[in-house]
Amino acid sequence: MSSEGEQSVKLVSSDNVEIVTERKVAERSMLIKNMIEDLGAPGEEPIPIMNVSEAVLRKVLEWCTQHKNDPAPTQDDDAESRKKTTDIEEWDQKFMQVDQEMLFEIILAANYMDIKALLDVGCKTVANMIKGKSPEEIRKTFNIQNDFTPEEEEQIRRENEWAEDR
Amino acid sequence: MAPPQPRPDIVTNALATMQKAAAVPPPPMPTSKDDINGTWRFLEWGVDRIMFSLKEGVDLRTYMSLYTSIHNFCTAQKAAGPTTNTLHSTHRGAHLLGEELYHRLNTYLKQHLAGVHAEMVKHSDEALLTYYIEQWNRYTTAGTYNNHLFRYLNRHWVKREMDEGKKDIFDIYTLHLVRWKEDMFGSTQNAVMDAVLRLVEKQRNGETIEQSKVKQVVDSFVALGIDESDSTKTNLDVYRQYFERPFIAATGKYYEAESKAFLGENSVVDYMKKAERRLDEEKERVPLYLLAEIMQPLMKCCESALIAAHCQLMRDEFQILLDNDREEDTARMYKLLSRIAEGLDPLRTRFEAHVRRAGHLAVEKVAEAGDNLDPKAYVDALLEVHTQYSGLVQTAFTGESEFVRSLDNACREYVNRNKVCQKNSARSPELLAKHADNVLKRSTKATEEDDMEKMLNQVMTVFKYIEDKDVFQKFYSRTLAKRLVNGTSASGDAETSMISKLKDASGFEYTNKLQRMFQDMQTSKDLNSSYDEWCKDTFDADDRKEGVDAYYQILGTGFWPLQPANTPFVAPATIVKTYERFQNFYNSKHGGRKLTWLWHLCKGEIRANYAKMNKVPYTFQVSTYQMAILLLFNDSDTVTYDDIASSTMLAKETLDPSLGIMLKAKVIIASPEGASSQSGTTYTLNYGFKNKKLKVNLNVAIKAEQKQEAEDTHKTIEEDRKMLMQSAIVRIMKSRKTMKHAVLVGETIQQIKNRFSPKVADIKKCIDILIEKEYLERLEGDDLGYLA
Repeated sequence: MSSEGEQSVKLVSSDNVEIVTERKVAERSMLIKNMIEDLGAPGEEPIPIMNVSEAVLRKVLEWCTQHKNDPAPTQDDDAESRKKTTDIEEWDQKFMQVDQEMLFEIILAANYMDIKALLDVGCKTVANMIKGKSPEEIRKTFNIQNDFTPEEEEQIRRENEWAEDR
Repeated sequence: MAPPQPRPDIVTNALATMQKAAAVPPPPMPTSKDDINGTWRFLEWGVDRIMFSLKEGVDLRTYMSLYTSIHNFCTAQKAAGPTTNTLHSTHRGAHLLGEELYHRLNTYLKQHLAGVHAEMVKHSDEALLTYYIEQWNRYTTAGTYNNHLFRYLNRHWVKREMDEGKKDIFDIYTLHLVRWKEDMFGSTQNAVMDAVLRLVEKQRNGETIEQSKVKQVVDSFVALGIDESDSTKTNLDVYRQYFERPFIAATGKYYEAESKAFLGENSVVDYMKKAERRLDEEKERVPLYLLAEIMQPLMKCCESALIAAHCQLMRDEFQILLDNDREEDTARMYKLLSRIAEGLDPLRTRFEAHVRRAGHLAVEKVAEAGDNLDPKAYVDALLEVHTQYSGLVQTAFTGESEFVRSLDNACREYVNRNKVCQKNSARSPELLAKHADNVLKRSTKATEEDDMEKMLNQVMTVFKYIEDKDVFQKFYSRTLAKRLVNGTSASGDAETSMISKLKDASGFEYTNKLQRMFQDMQTSKDLNSSYDEWCKDTFDADDRKEGVDAYYQILGTGFWPLQPANTPFVAPATIVKTYERFQNFYNSKHGGRKLTWLWHLCKGEIRANYAKMNKVPYTFQVSTYQMAILLLFNDSDTVTYDDIASSTMLAKETLDPSLGIMLKAKVIIASPEGASSQSGTTYTLNYGFKNKKLKVNLNVAIKAEQKQEAEDTHKTIEEDRKMLMQSAIVRIMKSRKTMKHAVLVGETIQQIKNRFSPKVADIKKCIDILIEKEYLERLEGDDLGYLA
């Protein structure tokens, strides 16, 4: 297994930049892992990561390298821990200290490449940005235009009254 | 560019027309994300390649393009439904796209399978199997590829649908299985199963088959068992209904026919061998290519067709096997019939009857000897049958406890109720006790310790079956008493061993007296040595010479089955002096005890200074009675019958045989010659006495005495039994105070049945006696009360 893990694979970003990385790192992506499982080790053949640009792909691979030895989470405790906490480990927190655009790009890439743990960290980061903020503050943070009519807004408030923090 | 590795088990001979479709160059990857037609056109081409040309490989770029186009379609920012409805949409938050892709794939699979099905029906039998397996493997392998390819759809749209409880949406791989099950399986499984069953039948007929085919069909049926309540789980429903059920049915039919035909032409013994072999074969078949779960129903089916259906025939053969000692075949029959419910009960009944018969037969053979029946021959006859059949129980019936019980029942029956016991049920324990006596008595042949132990164990084997254990106890204690008093035991260890065996079998109370008898012997030994000391201290040498050297045994009256002699007797003066001396000593030690001399059990030695062989005088071993008679000749060489009778006071019945032996040995001579023992006859000492041995034993037990003894023993048994029953009744009533009559009788039987089998009438008599004696009283109804 270790020898397989040490093989290198060549990824190609959407803007046609080749990035060589360890197979083990790349296989944090279920997409790549499944593909290698189905088609066999790619060897020299580059794997096109069609929806991810070089900058984002490098960032994603940085995360994958850091987490290459994490144990694969089981279905159950995965669902559990995700619900319970918005805690993020220190390295990941630092890793996520990027501009908003990059943050969303990472989330999209994680979703596309099927890297669940990274997707979770991304979403938790966004959730932490929202936590404790008023709708107006949130709109400001994410640069969202308020397109609700006052009536709609009232209705939503009523429906979600139960969730208010009192 | 390295070619992608093809999976080796991908099948190539898919439909030629479809293959052509797959060879078509790819349509362009859709550029517009929400273009369902464009996206599907592209995907369909890819899925086609996976379905038909997996062997030629799918390159990385194609794979990634396909995945990406699915991703792109599902993430297209297309509004879901009319915008005005957003707030009331069933999906709160983001709407997930992909439904359209899912349904297109579903339709695609349907069409695909329709094509496969059209081809499938052209095949039959083994070719069909081959085709089915090929197609199944190709299709399910493609399914796993597609499942990965459509993973984005699985992760989002499918997951959401399933989370919301939609039962008809499956992950993509399961969708493949569901389609196969519905569009392929239903209409082909019959033919496939037929082919499987024909294949298995061939193997049962001895042909070699490709077992892996059956195995693969089993696997495919198992894979189709999708749990309806949770499609991520599988169950064995499909397999059970479409594989196991017809498989079992065909097996049953096959063996029904085969066994019937085989039995038509072969013996039952041969059939059993065949059935055994068949059962083993079927058992071995399971791990080869069937599911372990089938073992139980398969075995049950085979057992029913091979054994249960013919059990009557086998049971009928059982007697023949027993009669001919066919141990191996008996064992085989046991093994077979033990596999079916209640298969063995009839065998046990027959076995029991057979052993009983054999026991009776063996006893009848030795019973011809009548009253002179040799105890050893009798016990050996009992044992022989037991040994033979307990061996059979161990080897053929694996020592199974129910068969042991049958054997015990049969043995108990023939040991207690046989021709020898016909007149007197106590004959069995009596003969057994006599045999035990013969074993334990010193004999000319020295018995090895191991042999002795073995023989004692044999006695115990029979003892276990004896119902009248009290009778055995009586006779045994009598013979033990004799062995101890006469010092004729072969070995003290053997005696102790036997008593402890009896104790183990029947308890402390049963052997209490026997043990006390042993103790008395030891106490007597100690007493004699302290008496010798006492004599030395009390009398001088001359004084001591006046007495006779003697050894005394002091036996507790309550423990020894000994009665005082039934004749009066005046002991000779020398002996009187001797025992008076001992009595003084004894009374000084144990005041208030009465010593009764059992003259008929005493013996002594007399030296005949008048008759010598090579200058050594003869020594006569005699009874005390004979001693008294011979001592009379010290005063005169001729003594008359009347003189003897008056000075010894012996009753005629004892005197005459005592004389008889001495006459026979020519120690004394009657005159007139040959005169019978009566008044007027005179006896003269034979000075010319000659014998080969220096020691002459004249103390020979008298026949009539022996017989009398046995009769006495039987008489006391009846008395003892009454006492035993009465004490049991009193014991029970004392603890219960009041009791129904019938219940009391039942309890009493319970309590004493390990001693003997009491008759209800006897117990009733005992109850009446106890009422008369006012231990019990009659109350209202059937109740009895205890009077303290």
